[in-house]
Amino acid sequence: MTKRWLPRAAAGTVVLALGLTLAACGGGSSSSSGSGSFKVLVYGDASNKVEKQIIDTFNKTSKVKAVLQTIPGADYQQKLQTIINTKQAPDVFFNWGGGSIAPFVKAGLLLPLDDFIAKDPGLKSNFLPSVFNSAAVDGKAYGIPMRGTQPVLMFDNKKVLSDAGLTEPKTWDDLLNAVKVLKAKHITPIALGGGDQWPTLMWYEYMYDRIAGPGLFEKAMGGDKSAWDSADSRAALAKLKELIDAGAFGTNFDSVKYTDGGSVALVAQGKAGFELMGSWYYSQQQQDNPDFAKSGLGFSSFPTVAGGKGDPTDVVGNTNNFYSVLKKTKYPDAIAQFLKLQYSDEFVKAQMAIGNLPTTTNTVNFLNTAAIPDYSKFQYDLVKAAPSFQLSWDQAYPQTASEAMHTAVQQFFDGKLDADGFIKAMQALPTS
Amino acid sequence: MTTSAEPRVARRRSIRRSGAAVARPGFAWAAPATLFFLLFAVLPLVLVAVLSFTDWDGLGSPQYAGLDNWKALIHDHVMIQSLWLSVLITVLGVVVQTPLSILLGVWAAGKQRNRAILSAIYFVPLLLSATAVSILWRALLDPNFGVPSQAKWLFGDGNLFGHQTSAIGVLVFVGAWQYTPFHTLIYQGAARAVPQVLYQAAEIDGAGTIRQFFHITLPQLRNTMITSMILMVVGGLTTFDTVLILTQGGPGTDTTISAYYMYQKAFKSFDFGGGSAIALVLVLIATVISLVVVKVSGYDKMRSSSEGL
Repeated sequence: MTKRWLPRAAAGTVVLALGLTLAACGGGSSSSSGSGSFKVLVYGDASNKVEKQIIDTFNKTSKVKAVLQTIPGADYQQKLQTIINTKQAPDVFFNWGGGSIAPFVKAGLLLPLDDFIAKDPGLKSNFLPSVFNSAAVDGKAYGIPMRGTQPVLMFDNKKVLSDAGLTEPKTWDDLLNAVKVLKAKHITPIALGGGDQWPTLMWYEYMYDRIAGPGLFEKAMGGDKSAWDSADSRAALAKLKELIDAGAFGTNFDSVKYTDGGSVALVAQGKAGFELMGSWYYSQQQQDNPDFAKSGLGFSSFPTVAGGKGDPTDVVGNTNNFYSVLKKTKYPDAIAQFLKLQYSDEFVKAQMAIGNLPTTTNTVNFLNTAAIPDYSKFQYDLVKAAPSFQLSWDQAYPQTASEAMHTAVQQFFDGKLDADGFIKAMQALPTS
Repeated sequence: MTTSAEPRVARRRSIRRSGAAVARPGFAWAAPATLFFLLFAVLPLVLVAVLSFTDWDGLGSPQYAGLDNWKALIHDHVMIQSLWLSVLITVLGVVVQTPLSILLGVWAAGKQRNRAILSAIYFVPLLLSATAVSILWRALLDPNFGVPSQAKWLFGDGNLFGHQTSAIGVLVFVGAWQYTPFHTLIYQGAARAVPQVLYQAAEIDGAGTIRQFFHITLPQLRNTMITSMILMVVGGLTTFDTVLILTQGGPGTDTTISAYYMYQKAFKSFDFGGGSAIALVLVLIATVISLVVVKVSGYDKMRSSSEGL
């Protein structure tokens, strides 16, 4: 008895196990396999509203259908990288350009968009060049801008400033003075979600740009590690230290997060004066504290630093998000048509309505239709006038560097690393 | 004589035959479990071992890297610190949870009024996922809007997640908040199983409640304590979700325990070779610990606790 059914049971178990594995692999993609459709993978958040709308528009006229898939939360990059080399890989996917797609290009997974652009030059010429070029790798275009630009701005609570007799700081000295005045009134001068680490990084990005100009970072990222040990680098760190030691961020910023709304509420409730954040801050305040966003929230560009080599109109942040295309897709022609929609009037209007600022050349025609026209105009002028738009360091560097970078950034802010330690940590980062 | 001996031998044989069939079922019964074990435990373990000698970012094919990952691991001070932190969090967990759950369990095993209701409320944390619990405490401990802002005399500026000691304290506290109810449940069951005769005899001899607790209840709970502590050690060493949500290994690397460090290396820095090496170290340590626990506790001998009763 036993001997006869043993092989059968074993075979059954293997089949069952395989079935389970296959079922696990097939999850989520079954709806789009087989027929003529391609997958569009996007970071899941409030902007998905527009992506859905554009895909609906596309599907109305196209035989090959686009299917939207979203991955919620900050784990987007991790999940993308684990599926991109498998059967579950999307055909088109959201990214931050720069270092976020460099490893995929290196692995030969992405389709250079040169052929698309050769057939339709508008696919390139309809976008602001500085933005478009931040998704180029080795001189080849790999991404089409698909959301709004996200410069990092200084936001403030207008009432807190006026009560303290302050105006929005134009220079570094203004900022230091504001810190002193607000501290005396027992208000945290600058809210900082240090628990998330990436908000802290924004301070470095601006300090280095203002003091050394964009060249230093470009040099360091190109592999010249001596850039971190230069006099400019040390001067930038010294300025930051000056700000930290002045108590600008209070004492508990490492326990505060941006992602759970902690630092956002500090500003909205008048417990803090300023916060340095990407332009998505406005829609965040709009969602969390609508009344405050409407009348209490002020914004300005990062202060100028006297004696710095950087152009005072430079900005840092995320130039935009991009759609990149996988080389192995079966529907390059349909995708080329789909990408064209990202500079259509419909796209621009829909993005403006939710507060995003697209980086197409026709954006300027629709500035008045924006959710908050003043805010959109301010951003548009800022980005357009900026000689340099420095991509966030953690997106410019390869993904393998971001964890160590964030750790060093946090440790310098809470005094665990001195300038030498920070420089050493940055020099140890992989640049390719 | 001969006539009576023959059937007896035959009967003994038949007993042996049928007995063997019951006591030792064929290997076939274990086949499904064995196959699953091979497929989902042994095979991945072998693959991880192979990966630890390669350089792989999850794209393309892994490149053979020899002993590079292992050499890097030996000189990695974060790795050494992470092992120490894992042990520290585990030990603190056992030290905090054991006395609490013994006291609560023994109390819950009694017959006091309202005991059932209080116990039921007390078991609620057990029903929540570790993720939900971590998010809840992160919000409650927010320095500006949570409990610390109302109790400045206790929390100071509320920078609980900004210092190593307080961050570890929070991790241990949240772990205890969630898992003490579970261990209480185990102790409650064990305390109910202590024969009442022992207490009656002790009362006749004039022993008070406290003496009864130390001289009857505690010794009778010995085996339960071993079981509960093994579970605590296993839980402590595999702590991950609370770290991921509460501290993200921070500030800096101050709460980067080994399991989180492995995740960070593999899935955040895309260094699957390095992550695999850490994973193997963890497997080795866990194996050694479980062997030691089995030897020391006498768990392998399955001694009866009823002996001497």
